[in-house]
Amino acid sequence: MTIEFTAPKAKPAALLRPWALVVPAVLFLLVFFVVPLVENGLRSVVNDAGGFTLSRYGQLLTDSFYLRVTAETVLLSAGVTLISIVIGYPVAYFLVRRSGRWAGLIIFLLIAPLLTSIIMRTFGWQVLFARRGLVNNVLVDQLGLIDAPLRFSNSPEIAVAALVHVLVPFMVLSIATVLQSIDLRLEESAKILGAGRFRTFWEVTLPLSLDGVGTGAILVFMIANGSFVTLVLLGGGLQTLPLMIYQQFNTTRDFGMASAMSTILLVIAVVCLFLQLRLVRRRGS
Amino acid sequence: MTIMKRRTFLGAGAALGAGLMTGTLPRFASAKAGNEITVTAFGGVWETAVRQCFCDPFEAKTKAKANIALGGPPQWLAQVQASPNDPPIDMLIMTPDLALIAANAGLVDDFTVDKLPNLAKIPKELTDSVKGKGTLLDYGVGGITFNKSKVKNPPKSFAEFVDRVSKGEFVASVPSIAYAVTPIMLIWAMAKALGGGVNDVDPFFKAMAKMKKNLVFWGGPNDFFNHLSSGEAELGIYFDGRTWNHFDSGATWIDFINPSEGGSLNGVAIQKPKNANPLAWPYLNEMLDAKNQEKFAEILSYGVTNVDVVYSEKLKPRITPWQKTVFPPYEEIAKVRNDWVDRWNREIGR
Repeated sequence: MTIEFTAPKAKPAALLRPWALVVPAVLFLLVFFVVPLVENGLRSVVNDAGGFTLSRYGQLLTDSFYLRVTAETVLLSAGVTLISIVIGYPVAYFLVRRSGRWAGLIIFLLIAPLLTSIIMRTFGWQVLFARRGLVNNVLVDQLGLIDAPLRFSNSPEIAVAALVHVLVPFMVLSIATVLQSIDLRLEESAKILGAGRFRTFWEVTLPLSLDGVGTGAILVFMIANGSFVTLVLLGGGLQTLPLMIYQQFNTTRDFGMASAMSTILLVIAVVCLFLQLRLVRRRGS
Repeated sequence: MTIMKRRTFLGAGAALGAGLMTGTLPRFASAKAGNEITVTAFGGVWETAVRQCFCDPFEAKTKAKANIALGGPPQWLAQVQASPNDPPIDMLIMTPDLALIAANAGLVDDFTVDKLPNLAKIPKELTDSVKGKGTLLDYGVGGITFNKSKVKNPPKSFAEFVDRVSKGEFVASVPSIAYAVTPIMLIWAMAKALGGGVNDVDPFFKAMAKMKKNLVFWGGPNDFFNHLSSGEAELGIYFDGRTWNHFDSGATWIDFINPSEGGSLNGVAIQKPKNANPLAWPYLNEMLDAKNQEKFAEILSYGVTNVDVVYSEKLKPRITPWQKTVFPPYEEIAKVRNDWVDRWNREIGR
């Protein structure tokens, strides 16, 4: 007599069940993300007469003015991201390795700015750095360091500072999460093998924490890339794609051009995401 | 107790979701009952004024309900354009240039005295300015607003404004191109005051180039007030009504001058989308009523359009009669507006 061991045949309904669970999410994304995205893309290539056109993309990709706007958008986001890394990494390192029982307080202080409305934060920067604001008053009247007030406000620098202020917490938390997961024995091994503190950091800790830097960079870059309110209120002279999209909608009512601009903005974001994924995969391999 | 099985619950949820998505079930969220209309208003004190001056009397007379949708003209027009057969809002508050776009696109109904008895009390020129497919409810004048504690001798004209700002006597706050009516209240108004017009805005761009170092830009009306109150600027181009609003709210250091060349009239048009609830007509009639407009003017400090309106002693010196303003050629401006915006982007930048 032979005994066969066979797995019980799964019923078709049981096979479908796991897929059924994702149907609501897929439907939601389809209706509220994919369909509007496709519609937006179509609007950007349809002219007023209803025919096909790539003229808007042609203008965006060849006109020196629009190229400058796109470059300004990318440079602003990249600048904010770099500054956030420079500020955020030491804070994250301190938070994970040195803060001890103060960790909770530091995390609260990091997140606290996010609990305030972005408009209030931006007005705060305006008040501080106005021509006759607190900083200029101290420099001119209290300290007498300068004769006339400086024009901080409505300058690109103040817009960058305000964006960094908002976005540094995303960088710190991303890096801190990865730093926390690094096995301390690896650093100890490096030291036992003769590496100094700096070399241990440079050759062990930093490479192992690059995933966190990458994640933080992508978060900060993406948010800065689409930032609007801060630039409207503080970005003196800066012309970025989100501002131009708003202008196309609000002032010129050229929805086709606004769609083309938003597609370009989306492509920038996707390319950035792709680069980050490549970085993470390279680290993984 | 009724026990619902998991399978039943999931099935019902899926059916409900599918039904809502395909539109086969009643659209609860946007249900438009026959005795309810959706009207529009800007935020802040505007909303309060609309509720008190127009919604309340409308509801008292018709026993219907007026729900307020907050936002701005470009957004409302886009909503009506997207769904002209079943517009989600029943009356529009528009800038005149957008009102003309709606009129030319056949999106709005004609205003006639048989539908709106109070229309007889609105000057014909104002109704004609939007081709009879709406009329003007109120208007502001774009002029020079200044901080009188810092500017003792304010410029009396646009030309003087340009001259003194160029010389660095003041830092001025002017509307940025992100603000929808900048082409009218600033580009056209200043070009005209400096000898240009719709077909020649060079004087404006030359003036901006001269003033550039001493300008800051406001993206919205509250932004302008922040510039003045924080000391970022001493004066700027702004509206009379909003200036007096700030004054009444405690900013007694603020003042306004209608430039000698004449400030531009910045009207607010009202319209009814085609296929909107007919109850919008009695609501619009309330908006044109003299008593309601008097109350509205009192709250907002803007001029209103019913000829029977009698302004209070406080308002009289503040309101510039619309005949003494410069009436912008909205339709001609609409044709060249995008070129102006493009030129602004390239030459001024913000």
